Amino acid sequence: MQRAVSTFPLSSGVKLKLLSAGFRFAGDLQHVSPPKLSHEAGLSQQEALEALQVVTGGGAVASFTAMELLQMEAESRNIVTFSSQLDSALGGGVPVGKTTEICGTPGIGKTQLCLQLAVDVQVPPCFGGIEGHVIFVDTEGSFVLQRVIDIAAAAVTHCSLLAEDDEQRGAMATFTVETILSNIFLVRCHDYVELLAELHLLPDFLSDHPRTRLLVIDSVARPFRGFDDLSQRTRLLQGLAQQLVTLATRHDLAVVITNQMTTRVRGSQSQLVPALGESWGHASTIRLLLQWSGSRRLATVVKSPRHMDATVQYQISTDGFRDADQSDER
Amino acid sequence: MVVLRAGMCPGLDEDLVRDLRAADVKTVEDLVSCNLEELAQRCSVSYKALFAVRRVLLAQHSAFPVSGADLYEELLSSTAILSTGNPSLDKLLDSGLYTGEITELSGGPGSGKSQVCFGVAVHVSQQLKQNVIYVDTTGGFTASRLLQMLQTETSDKEEQMAALQRIRVFRVFDVFSLLDCLFGLCSDGLQQASVGGGSVKAVIVDSVSAVVAPLLGGKHNEGMSLMSQVAGVLRTMAKDFNVAALVTNYVTRSSSGELQPGLGVSWSHIPRTRILLERLEEGTTAASSAAATADVSRSSLRSATLIKSSRQPCLIREEFDLQWWSRSKDQKTSGLKRKREEDSDS
Repeated sequence: MQRAVSTFPLSSGVKLKLLSAGFRFAGDLQHVSPPKLSHEAGLSQQEALEALQVVTGGGAVASFTAMELLQMEAESRNIVTFSSQLDSALGGGVPVGKTTEICGTPGIGKTQLCLQLAVDVQVPPCFGGIEGHVIFVDTEGSFVLQRVIDIAAAAVTHCSLLAEDDEQRGAMATFTVETILSNIFLVRCHDYVELLAELHLLPDFLSDHPRTRLLVIDSVARPFRGFDDLSQRTRLLQGLAQQLVTLATRHDLAVVITNQMTTRVRGSQSQLVPALGESWGHASTIRLLLQWSGSRRLATVVKSPRHMDATVQYQISTDGFRDADQSDER
Repeated sequence: MVVLRAGMCPGLDEDLVRDLRAADVKTVEDLVSCNLEELAQRCSVSYKALFAVRRVLLAQHSAFPVSGADLYEELLSSTAILSTGNPSLDKLLDSGLYTGEITELSGGPGSGKSQVCFGVAVHVSQQLKQNVIYVDTTGGFTASRLLQMLQTETSDKEEQMAALQRIRVFRVFDVFSLLDCLFGLCSDGLQQASVGGGSVKAVIVDSVSAVVAPLLGGKHNEGMSLMSQVAGVLRTMAKDFNVAALVTNYVTRSSSGELQPGLGVSWSHIPRTRILLERLEEGTTAASSAAATADVSRSSLRSATLIKSSRQPCLIREEFDLQWWSRSKDQKTSGLKRKREEDSDS
């Protein structure tokens, strides 16, 4: 089957000139030299060269067998949440290389979980961590430094109590509140344009900081709520979702995004559902729903390709995100 | 159409191509659709020579008619029906995925589209010993889940590994890479993949809408053209290489609140068979009382509705359990028996 020129990632101006000169399929450009193409289609030399490179060079997409991917999955690490129940529901924590969405009402602990993950990702390997850096994109102004210091201090204390051998004691020398803070990069975005621009720049930042293992966007909902043109919003959000998946896979990142809740009215019934619409639900690979049940806080895994849906109880303490105490259950 | 080049057919030499170009005839399409007498006068070449060139070009670029009997013969010998491994889905699909056709699964988040795709991939690879191509556009492909499913099918480690080797995964996250991948498969990949023994019988794209939806909506028209290109290459691939194509799609809600597959009307003509997957919510309306949802463990039951088919009456509905693929053989057969008994009782 002939591949049409319009299916290549070329600028629309170049495509138009190629089409009007009669070059409609990749086969038409097979044995054409750049000067000849530039002459016949009225393109500049540079454009002609680039167009030929795109058309004749494209097509090679890397593939893996499921076996190879299984090995890669076995090697990939998870970021522990410091809540053993949630970890086991997620199969060892928040997976690196996948996107995870956290939905919940205000005050339920979405940001707390994000801050906790930002600290946990830096735990040294000898304590079961992955010692990665963090990019924290804050769109709500909810990044409270004092809380990060609390959570970091608790994590440092926790690890220093666990330290047994020399390697672990040695690792503690660099695992301090100061280093934790210095490895968190905060980006403050005020509207959706800034957020989208930041995402376009992130690949460069990630190449400069190859140890980054976690990208947090808290929240993706705020810049996109109250949008007038809904179909435009859906389009932008779908593009954003694909960008996040690409980042997660290419740069071996855990992408964690938070989302608000909204009320959907259907007939006489109303229901609390994650914001940003039905199609956004597909954006993340794993979806976590945080909700109240009386005075208990519950985390539910509502979507995961690997695990069954599960609900666990948790609490937010001064030290951060933790398992609920068994004693005060119910 | 193709650009006119010297030597494409007898009689079409360098000079003639130059003359034609001067008369603004650049492609085969231009030549066959123009008025030959006028053209002959303008280029001052003989009408006869031009006529001969046009005849050869038409013959080169036209399709051949095939008789219905031959077509039927070929259909019988080449069409295969691939079971999905799940009896409820097979029932909806009239016993399975047909090669040469595009089948679509649509559903909301967490409705089990990917799980069904995994199940199909495992079943085709393990039970039918055929190669599978899995195009993952959402990053949702999880090999360990496939292994879980395989472990219930066979306890033989080597067989599990062999089955995983037969599944080839492409990870593409934008529409251009998807087109690169599909066109690549068409030109050589399908044969290449089959070198390892067995042929490719199924191509799964999970999901089409993830890469197409970012281009649609707003005031952008390019998305439509790219979508139809994706559709075209999928269709060619299914027909020419005799593979079953399984694609997944998102859902949107119509103004009356009903679920319908995404990507709009023009896409709806592409898949031959469409199935809508939904969660079966039991009893209480979710989240209205958080306590209720928390105590009732979320069920793995799903309903599948046939919404487009050329073989079966539409809107048949079946219920099935996503846990099906995690069950061992004995559980499956006993489950089946129970179901049959229930059926005969009623």
